[in-house]
Amino acid sequence: MNATRPLPNVGMPDDPDYEEKLAQFEARIARGEKIEPGDWMPYEYRRQLIRMISQHAHSEVVGMLPEGAWITRAPTLRRKLILIAKVQDEAGHGQYLYHAAESLGVDREELIDLLLAGKAKYSSVFNYPTLTWADIGMIGWLVDGAAIKNQTMLAHCSYGPYSRAMVRICAEETFHYKQGKEMITLYAQGTPEQQRMAQDALNRWWWPALMMFGPHDTDSPNTPVLMRWGIKTKSNDTLRQEFIDEIVPEFLEIGLAIPDPELRWDEESGHWISGPIDWDEFWRVVRGNGPMNRARMAARRQAHEEGRWVREAMVAYANRRMAVGS
Amino acid sequence: MNDTQWPRYEVFKQDKPHKPHEAVGTVHAPDPEMALQNARDVYVRRPDCHSLWVAPEDAVFKMTAYELEQDPNWHVETIPEDAPEQTYLVFTRQHHRRSMVAASHVGEVQARTPREALRRAMEQAAWTSKPVYLWWIVPQAAITASQEEDAPSMFAPAQDKTYRDQSYYKGILFGKHLQKKHAKSSPTGKKAS
Ligand SMILES: [Fe+2]
Ligand SMILES: [Fe+2]
Ligand SMILES: [Fe+2]
Repeated sequence: MNATRPLPNVGMPDDPDYEEKLAQFEARIARGEKIEPGDWMPYEYRRQLIRMISQHAHSEVVGMLPEGAWITRAPTLRRKLILIAKVQDEAGHGQYLYHAAESLGVDREELIDLLLAGKAKYSSVFNYPTLTWADIGMIGWLVDGAAIKNQTMLAHCSYGPYSRAMVRICAEETFHYKQGKEMITLYAQGTPEQQRMAQDALNRWWWPALMMFGPHDTDSPNTPVLMRWGIKTKSNDTLRQEFIDEIVPEFLEIGLAIPDPELRWDEESGHWISGPIDWDEFWRVVRGNGPMNRARMAARRQAHEEGRWVREAMVAYANRRMAVGS
Repeated sequence: MNDTQWPRYEVFKQDKPHKPHEAVGTVHAPDPEMALQNARDVYVRRPDCHSLWVAPEDAVFKMTAYELEQDPNWHVETIPEDAPEQTYLVFTRQHHRRSMVAASHVGEVQARTPREALRRAMEQAAWTSKPVYLWWIVPQAAITASQEEDAPSMFAPAQDKTYRDQSYYKGILFGKHLQKKHAKSSPTGKKAS
């Protein structure tokens, strides 16, 4: 459990009416009803949602860092405006999600404290460095593209507040994806140096993007319960395969090569089959030893500290207004 | 750390003058005025917005159809004799479709308590022609609204930022020549390093 404060002690399997309530709950999900904050839900449903939503919120927040670092170095004013808008969106996405988590009985503040203390998980893709401007385009197309795949599925989630946050996020993410696709497409048609940058970015981001869908289904112990209760409607491997099938032809079309010597088109199944994913690397990064884990957390803590005076000023202003009764 | 939590406010956003205010989510803020500013930053990065309301979350009385069914005595309460009537705003949701909105404003009732307001709302045939899955009752006195004169600074800036919309990128050229040139390249073609 991610929370430092006990959750409402309801929906426990040893409650006398658990079986009856659970049957009603599962029937509601089967009918396509959304579960709302006041409704009965199994404790385990609440726990799994808080785990997922808080990780997702942290990913949006940490996800601002790799791209934010390039705002001052954007090559044109147009690109700068686009990048600022995208990074602002990610901040907003973090807020939508912390608030969805709050509807389950945790506080945004305790979740943020866990993140800053280095005790919370977030998507490991953000622990890789952004080395060139082409990375900004590649993140939009590839990383936001993978995120959209996952989020489009989660928009069907049985929990009302999470699904609504996802619908709102998906509507905004499409712009993130399109601006990246536009940039990389232009680079792929550009000077030899631009083409080289686009290919280099794909080489470095391809595998971390595939890892974003999480471990193989056989190594994903939470999946069955998440699917049973309509939190997820597709497994990690299903989503990853859909993503590969969609994006491989698009990269090939603009003349980029996929950095996977074993990748092949399988006529029989109609799928692109990728080579093995390096799960040792995945777990190394998840456990805190990726290239940028420490730098990301240091930047996050610094931002939080440097924003303290703003929060203090807001409180002082609110107190003063209350005192003068305006 | 204990300096970022602040009270929660529900945010209601009206896209166009003749559309209802819709519950889009929550923000934290030390007071209603800053809740409006935060709501603008979090929920109005894009058009359209004509008006925003915020209300402290603990002032919003929420009931789902499931909760009402589970507690047939939900309306039982003792109302003090001298309790004054006030105006309550009523919000409902009548579908389970994919949506980014929790509930939409349908109108007002006069009542002495939120529960009484809900009972009166349920008597309105126009609001209950289809089953209501979610009821929200908000005392009008708890709402802080954006003002007409705030619109240029709060909502107009989002209108010019057309690059936040995916349709801005319609012109992406997947050049025909590119397709021809690379149609036969292998997935791990010559450019892989
Ligand atoms: Fe996002
Ligand atoms: Fe707190
Ligand atoms: Fe994004």
